[in-house]
Amino acid sequence: MKARDTLSYSFSAIKLRKLRAALTTLGVVIGIAAIVALLSISQGLQNTITVQLQRGFATDTLIVTAGGGVGGGFGVGLGGGGDSGFTLLVNDTQTINGIPNVDMSLAIIQRTVNVTVGGTNKIRTIVGVDFADYHNVYSDTFVADRGTIPLNPESNIVVAGRRIIDPQLNGTMLADVNGPIDIILINATARPPTTITVHRNITAILKEIGSFGVGGPSDSSVYIPIAQAQTLFDTNECDMIIVKLKSSDQTVIDNASKAIKDKFVGEVSVISATAVLGIVSSIFSIIELFLGGIAAISLIVAGVGIMNIMIVSLMERTREIGILKALGTKSRTVLLIFLCEAVIIGLMGGAIGVGLGWVLANVVALVFRGGGVFMGGQAAGATGGMTITPVLTPIVFLGALAFGVGVSVVFAIYPAWRASKLKPVDALRYE
Amino acid sequence: MTTIVEAMNLKKMYLLGKVPVNALRGVNLKVESGDFLAILGPSGSGKSTLLNLIGALDKPTEGKLLIEGVDVSTLNDNQLTDLRRRVGFVFQFFNLIPRFTARENIELSMSIADVSKPERRKRAEGLLETVGLKERMNHKPAELSGGEQQRVAIARALANNPRFLLMDEPTGNIDSKTANEIMGLVKGLNEEKDVTAIMVTHDQRLATQSKKTVLMLDGLIVQETVN
Repeated sequence: MKARDTLSYSFSAIKLRKLRAALTTLGVVIGIAAIVALLSISQGLQNTITVQLQRGFATDTLIVTAGGGVGGGFGVGLGGGGDSGFTLLVNDTQTINGIPNVDMSLAIIQRTVNVTVGGTNKIRTIVGVDFADYHNVYSDTFVADRGTIPLNPESNIVVAGRRIIDPQLNGTMLADVNGPIDIILINATARPPTTITVHRNITAILKEIGSFGVGGPSDSSVYIPIAQAQTLFDTNECDMIIVKLKSSDQTVIDNASKAIKDKFVGEVSVISATAVLGIVSSIFSIIELFLGGIAAISLIVAGVGIMNIMIVSLMERTREIGILKALGTKSRTVLLIFLCEAVIIGLMGGAIGVGLGWVLANVVALVFRGGGVFMGGQAAGATGGMTITPVLTPIVFLGALAFGVGVSVVFAIYPAWRASKLKPVDALRYE
Repeated sequence: MTTIVEAMNLKKMYLLGKVPVNALRGVNLKVESGDFLAILGPSGSGKSTLLNLIGALDKPTEGKLLIEGVDVSTLNDNQLTDLRRRVGFVFQFFNLIPRFTARENIELSMSIADVSKPERRKRAEGLLETVGLKERMNHKPAELSGGEQQRVAIARALANNPRFLLMDEPTGNIDSKTANEIMGLVKGLNEEKDVTAIMVTHDQRLATQSKKTVLMLDGLIVQETVN
């Protein structure tokens, strides 16, 4: 039998039992759709996170925190120190500025405190930075939407992140430029501890950032001059030092990182954007493997379904196989006819599955985006107003198709082989 | 006249469950080209087994079976398959494929033999004309009467220009009037188109319409009659 005749014969057999073929195909559709949806969403999520990280954490910057050792970098922002009791001081920036390839560095002091704006009290992060230097490093994000960010700020002003003023990001402003903002500090040394309310004025409101970069500006922070932070929190220690390099070249990053570590005799952690991106990417590969594995299980189940249906169909068509063989059909051709049916089911299921998975991924992304609508402000806050654009890479697209066809064929091999081995005399006698 | 089929001390044993059955116990038979042979016998006499062996659907246990001079028992599966394409088989229960029309059923046997598509169509239509079913070629088996289905089956059997036609109770499942028509068709093919035919039947009356009749009993040919 010629290949085209074999194919059209297989097609005619599938067309005969449309509902059964459709249900068998549905198994493949579900499996492939799950794989495509999960992988394209996680791919999209990874892209979103990567972009936001890159925005909030420029590639030519390093973040230095106290506490040496492996992985210490993830203590960022928690102000954690090493076991040795080493802490970074605000004027350690001078030491770092002396290291080759360092353009400049700036210290950050941050605390989590209660902040009252327009009568609403919320726990927020207070960040003490040098406004001019901070803007120099984060020139895209540390930008005022209303008011202006002063380069030589007075002591009684703050720069507010977007969500400080507009928590729902829907235009409902709790205050405006020149409005009052209260920072409630705890006097921990007093017994019993007391609260101190510090009155400040909003001098600028940042434009919406949407990202959550390490060290970079965020929508939910209140920025005060570094000297003010030192006074208010009564400290010379800083939580991190952001280092701007003269180039984002990988060797420059590596050399500067090492030089900084060496300078502080291993008592600091230095992380770079590329390192964080590397970690993010490796975490996502694990997640994708895990999700893909779960989805693959459903495809295996579909495969068992195909095998089951094929065996039933084999029994129903025993006589037909007998006729084919009596007419001179080779065993190999009978095998091909059955495998061909599996390929058709796999291809149809794969194609529909990829389409459905893609639609599903986009629906999920849409729900995610509209989280605020569906789940109220908290969800929107949790996702940080993140926008996920599902990504369907050609590898996932072709891989899913191939996997669908592969599973169908693998599970059809046994029934097809059995069909091909039927003896014509026995098959013709079969009732 | 050349010898097409020659059986020498042909034996066939098969297992029915676990019980061995000696279906053929040493059959000697010679069929010449142009013959119309009827194999007559009661059920269980081994006539269908003999026909299946001649049609290369099964292999003998012992003895020799020469089809056009080639010993069937020495052939492998692929060679047996090739042999089947040179044999036209007609079954009692027609064995047409229900989802295909009359024409498609005939074309199927040609597509198995790798005949080109336009040639298939041309030949199928010619054959349907020969068996008198040209008008009904686009009907499916379920839309045809038993007699019509058997005519399609005969047309299908002839599609690849077989060396001989093998018929297993071809009229066993149709009424006697139609059976006569079918017999007339086969006789016509044999006499006018020189098609060699071997027919298995248990109907004495039909058997006499052939050129030669052999009677089988308990796996042996017990009598040969030239009609």
